[in-house]
Amino acid sequence: MLEFTVNGESVRVEVDPGTPLLWVLRDTLKLNGTKYACGRSLCGACTVHVDGSPVRACVMPIESAANRAVTTIEGLGAEKPHPLQTAWIEANVPQCGYCQSGQIMSAAALLASNPNPSDADIDVAMAGNLCRCGTYDRIRKAIKTAGARIRDDRAAVRDDNRSTVT
Amino acid sequence: MTQSRREFLQSSAAIALTVAIARPTLAADESPATPGNAYLRVGADNRVTAVLPTSEMGQGTHTGQAMILGEELGIDPSQIHIEMPLRPAEPYRLFFGQMRSVGSYGIRAWYEPLKKAAAQVRAVLLEAAGERWRVPVSELDATDGQVVHALSGRRVPFGELVEAAAALPLPEDPPMRPAPDTNDVDHTTRRVDVPAKVDGSAVFGTDVDVPGCLHGAVRMSPVYGAEVLSLDADSIEGFPGIEAIVPVPNGVVVVADSWWRAKRAADALSIEFTDTDDATLSSEALSAAMREGLEGDLPPVVRRGDVDAQFQSAVKTVDVIYEVPFLTHICMEPLVCTAHTRENHLELWMPTQGHDIVRMTVERVLGFTNEQMTLHTTYLGGGFGRKTHGEIAEQAILASRAVGAPVKVMWSREDDIQQGYYRPAMMARLRGALDANNRITAMHAQLSGPQMGRTFEHVTVRDNNDFFSVASLIDQPYAEHFAMDHRHLDVPMPLSPWRAVSSSQNGFFMEGFIDEMAAAAGMDPVAFRRAHFEAHPRHLAVLDRVAEMSQWDAPAPDGRHRGVAVVQSYGSAVAQAVTLRMERERPVVEHVAVAIDCGRAIYPDAVEAQMKGSVIEGLAAALRHEVPIADGRAQRSNFHDYSPLRIDEIPDIEVSIVDTGAPLGGVGEPGIPPLAPALTNAIFSATGKRVRVLPVSARRT
Ligand code: FES
Ligand code: FES
Repeated sequence: MLEFTVNGESVRVEVDPGTPLLWVLRDTLKLNGTKYACGRSLCGACTVHVDGSPVRACVMPIESAANRAVTTIEGLGAEKPHPLQTAWIEANVPQCGYCQSGQIMSAAALLASNPNPSDADIDVAMAGNLCRCGTYDRIRKAIKTAGARIRDDRAAVRDDNRSTVT
Repeated sequence: MTQSRREFLQSSAAIALTVAIARPTLAADESPATPGNAYLRVGADNRVTAVLPTSEMGQGTHTGQAMILGEELGIDPSQIHIEMPLRPAEPYRLFFGQMRSVGSYGIRAWYEPLKKAAAQVRAVLLEAAGERWRVPVSELDATDGQVVHALSGRRVPFGELVEAAAALPLPEDPPMRPAPDTNDVDHTTRRVDVPAKVDGSAVFGTDVDVPGCLHGAVRMSPVYGAEVLSLDADSIEGFPGIEAIVPVPNGVVVVADSWWRAKRAADALSIEFTDTDDATLSSEALSAAMREGLEGDLPPVVRRGDVDAQFQSAVKTVDVIYEVPFLTHICMEPLVCTAHTRENHLELWMPTQGHDIVRMTVERVLGFTNEQMTLHTTYLGGGFGRKTHGEIAEQAILASRAVGAPVKVMWSREDDIQQGYYRPAMMARLRGALDANNRITAMHAQLSGPQMGRTFEHVTVRDNNDFFSVASLIDQPYAEHFAMDHRHLDVPMPLSPWRAVSSSQNGFFMEGFIDEMAAAAGMDPVAFRRAHFEAHPRHLAVLDRVAEMSQWDAPAPDGRHRGVAVVQSYGSAVAQAVTLRMERERPVVEHVAVAIDCGRAIYPDAVEAQMKGSVIEGLAAALRHEVPIADGRAQRSNFHDYSPLRIDEIPDIEVSIVDTGAPLGGVGEPGIPPLAPALTNAIFSATGKRVRVLPVSARRT
């Protein structure tokens, strides 16, 4: 029996040792938003966050997730849409859409640490996420839009705090 | 716009509530009559439902079709609930009399039928409102899901008119709204499928979740066409969760309670396959066979004018051989199908482009009629021609029948790359004759390689003319005197349309060759093509546009080199101009200018997306994609050796839509063919060397 948190809820699963997190999410927990496309950490379609860091779920043995917090695409915007999800819709980013959960999870990890990424930062953070349909320029555009909104929101919160203090 | 949509949502929610209160509840089976036809119906709850003929695989077809319906009916496309029919049926058939999502037909072929379908429904809604208000229909319009009488300011939601409208006959020739005349890329029309694709809720074939469903992984012969000789079930004794090992053509499906368990057992299974003559096949042997096929007289496909006479009087001639490799599709979503096979009924959940092919597979495997099958079409995580076939349905059907439960069979990436259904490898010899005015007078194109059409149930080869081999050669715009031949070569691997099908190879052959003709004539590649496009205004218009976009008439910036190509396919003319620099003898593409004439662009934002995606795919293919064969087996296995371009590898891509007043053309495929030749022509301009064999990285000549 293994315990970990998925999208804020704690879960216990009994699966074969060595089962990749991806298959526990998909086949055991029925969280199908996280995709399989290569199974070898080559494409990023299975990207989730483990304790906030982007991880390729297809190669992470479930033991490594024990007692840690996993966030999947289903949990990313559960309370309110993540700015990336809104920006993705506005820019009509997805084509087939199959890679997009992974793209958004990688982008979310990037913006969490750097809400003002340069093109080079985006290249580094996103180079492991393949999009066979070629939606890259819209991905880049949407990341920048979302980053700008996150920065604006933070600035607004700071202003708010300041006015509360004074 | 946003405001009015929100208002509409609020008002329609209020209305739905009123209706629910005011009317007695209908029994579930007592559904009220609704006005509608095969493609569109309106419910008393204001729900507008579209039943669409083509699958959504990323090309934006559902949004484009919803726009056509919505524009005509008078409702925002995002308010239309989208379905697909539960089995192929006549109203949804087109291509070879079949229901298929192929040929870049989604908009160009369905525009008229869908527009008419929506006009019919609007006509009866207006008529019903006219009767209710006792005003002439000519004073009414439909907008935002309501019928509006502007003179009196009255409005009524569609849902309230449903009962009266359902009693009216649908007019044969309903009046239709005029088409708007703009090709501006309007980025505000949101894709209807996108919200579900950003929160993980979109259901692809891989995500089908049927109660009690088991999972299947395959183990198939690595040599094409070999069958299982023997297997040792004991070799996976003790593997947990295994339900069955089910024989299927060329291999087995291992069924388990999770895909991971099924896959591990399938990999560990000790299995032997039959020995076939193809176990020694290699790419070198195939190339040699194609080259041999070019010798002597080849079986003719077409003869126009007097080619021999033109060659005899030619001032200059060019004679070259080109070659392209097998390509695979690497749809991001691997092949997958869920089947529940019962004694008299089959239910399938499948990301398919080939609904009637699936039906034919079901007939062959189970002897079932179309009516004994229910086929749920999911989103496709990419199609590109690969998901037109029935093999994965057959595997799932057999697996489900064997275990008496629904089974979802999914291929691994390795299966996907190695099990074939490839774009055919092909070799071409092209000869051209120039006169004293540098005009091409005659061309002779000879193909040597598999005629894909021979491998399909519905044979498409007539008089040696293979529908799947000839496009973008047989319709070349350059030479009046033209001959074309094709010598077929049998290959063991299954073949499949790949985005742009034969235009993907023939566009490269033709436009690489035309550049060589231009060089022989001592002319600039754009000027040379221009001189041949007098009678081809669409080719000329897109060529001129990319010349402008790439500033062709000015010298290329330092260290930059340009190449151009123009190919018409799927009813659209596309020109591309590639700008690159060479780095350690390798091309680095910096900019691609794209101009497309697809007639009026129905959904310009999707046209732009398709052009960019095509450039990115075409570039990856031309630079580095091939499936080499050794010992009868594919020598590629996953994204490390067959990778799409990464975000840091893509050039700037600029797209322009040109409208010459031509009929609607396709969009999903025609962006592919010009890329490879524009690239290799730019490489020639940089290095003086012709690349006649793809991929560029193969470095063969
Ligand atoms: S499926 Fe995990 S990286 Fe490709
Ligand atoms: S949208 Fe299709 S693979 Fe990225």
